[in-house]
Amino acid sequence: MRSPIRIVFEQRNETPKYLSTLVPLISVIAALVAGALFLLATGYSPIDTYTNMLSDGFASSRGITDTLGLSTVLICTGISAAFAFQMNLYNIGGEGQLYLGMIGGAWAGLALGDRLPSFVMIPTVLLLGALAGALWILIPAYVRSRLGTSEIVTTLLLTYVAASLVDHFVYTPGSFFVTKNSAFPQGRLVPDSASLTAFGNTSLYPTFFLVVLVTLTLFWLVKRTEYGYRIQVIADSPRAAHYAGINANRTTLSVMLISGALSGLGGAVLIVGPFGRLDPGITMLGYGYAGIVIAALARNNFSAVIVSGILFAGLRSGGDKLQISTDTPIHIGVMLQGAILLFALGGEAFRRYRIHAVRTERTAQ
Amino acid sequence: MNENIWVLASADSVAIATTLILAALGALFTERSGVLNLGIEGILLTAAISSFLAADTSGSIWLGLLIGSLAGALLACIHALLTVVLRANQIVAGLALVIFGTGLANFLGKPVEGKTVTTIIHPLSFGPLSDIPLIGPIIFGQDIITYASIAIAILSSLYLFRSRPGLELRATGDDPATVDAQGLSVASIRIRYTLFGGLLVGLGGSWLMLAQSAAWHQASTTNGIGWIALALVVFAGWRPIRLIFGAVLFGFTLQLPFTLQAEQITFIPSALMQMLPYLATLVALIALSRPSMRNKLGAPQALGTPFVRDER
Repeated sequence: MRSPIRIVFEQRNETPKYLSTLVPLISVIAALVAGALFLLATGYSPIDTYTNMLSDGFASSRGITDTLGLSTVLICTGISAAFAFQMNLYNIGGEGQLYLGMIGGAWAGLALGDRLPSFVMIPTVLLLGALAGALWILIPAYVRSRLGTSEIVTTLLLTYVAASLVDHFVYTPGSFFVTKNSAFPQGRLVPDSASLTAFGNTSLYPTFFLVVLVTLTLFWLVKRTEYGYRIQVIADSPRAAHYAGINANRTTLSVMLISGALSGLGGAVLIVGPFGRLDPGITMLGYGYAGIVIAALARNNFSAVIVSGILFAGLRSGGDKLQISTDTPIHIGVMLQGAILLFALGGEAFRRYRIHAVRTERTAQ
Repeated sequence: MNENIWVLASADSVAIATTLILAALGALFTERSGVLNLGIEGILLTAAISSFLAADTSGSIWLGLLIGSLAGALLACIHALLTVVLRANQIVAGLALVIFGTGLANFLGKPVEGKTVTTIIHPLSFGPLSDIPLIGPIIFGQDIITYASIAIAILSSLYLFRSRPGLELRATGDDPATVDAQGLSVASIRIRYTLFGGLLVGLGGSWLMLAQSAAWHQASTTNGIGWIALALVVFAGWRPIRLIFGAVLFGFTLQLPFTLQAEQITFIPSALMQMLPYLATLVALIALSRPSMRNKLGAPQALGTPFVRDER
């Protein structure tokens, strides 16, 4: 009954450098090919779809600035996920923390009004957003560090609570966040002192550079400080960390709070940038979920998050315009995100193992 | 207060519990084999839209249920391939499945957005029995899949704890090395139950579409039920019978906002009521992770870890 050929997974001692770039690259291509077959099967033209996505996402000046603009928030949620994932803490509630960042940022902007100058207002709004995001992960973080409650489902459940909260603040008559006496419920715009101007005629805001700076700071924090070293030790071996006298509970708590704050920052970036108000439409966009894919594809490496964040922003912004340029549903963008991650996960096996087929010897016992 | 509406609310709780029971049972079988599949929400959505399209084009509920279930198994197959064969991280693979499944479902559902299924599952009629006050609508007012889901849960319990293959399944989740030493293939058992789990989740998603919501509203069609189902497995301590009661309990919190709205009870903000099922699940999860509770729950020991035989 035994098949004559057996597939053997042989653990690699050292991964060749070229494989670390080749595997993600082939994953993306394979996902696009699979997507093309799927488009063909459902009666859409893959060539039209992809060329439109490419030109609207990357290959035009309008496209590239839109992509970089969108990547700002995606990099935030990406580093938020990566920061927690690297310590095997699966904060998958970045989506909800992003909503809270938006609520916190909008609250700060509206409450302070037009009294303060921009250089005070903008940092305050961003900080309040980050704080609100951290607050939203506080309970999952606390019970994870104290009781060991799995953070996976708790952080995710709070996303649904956060979505109801956004609805509550926008659709309750007379809410602080909405325009008074408006025909239909609509978020109130934050004052001018709390909004940044985009570069020229684009949707690229200065916050992009701030977020890149934050990412590089995190990179430094993890690679060059004692705090980062502690995170690495706990991630590699909780037991070794325990014997080394590292307080894993405290580190768990702080890593999760920082992760929540980063997603919150993403929400606040939307307040000072393109949105300017609490917008219930945010719950349909899935920027927080995209962060999970971005972090996983970057294998939790912060500088790679910037690259994969921009790649996914292009995929999204190209995908979002599809319905205007062709009749292909925009959801192909999200679908491709998932497909790329699935292929990348499969490809990981080829990076970690030398996979080859061997002939089964009949005499072997 | 109108008493009748609370009877109807209880009947609705039992009905909504159907999806929860099927989805959570699917997760339970998968997890009992040692595989964690977080992709339930994505599988539910894909199954829901597949059953919608199949039932709508063919006019047959049964074909709808079949196609939906198969779609669930198909997505679970991706998970099995990635995690069992290629040994990928189970958590990330599950999340990828959620995102892929959501995108796929929204893509397929685009032409029917907001539309209603023309063929839906109707409750069975038990003649005069259904008219008995109180228990009539609750016990004799459900449809065939609701009864089937409870039967499947009871059979699952017998299978898990009273049969040889059930023992092998539990052993695979607790101690795969021993199962391997017995000459059984850990990989084959894990793949089989991951697929079977996907099939059950798919059936749950199809039922949700064809009996409950009957209109396609993208991701809000399932609205997080998949995640609640995952929490329900923990809540039930990986035991099918307890899972039935947990599902009715969570089903009650899920339908409560609608009942209160119908009763015109408005002193509680509706947003707060919508949060209730998720908050209740959260509180349950936290309460269950107290050290005194954890040991009694009995999570599969090898849950989430790939099995690699030491090849010497």
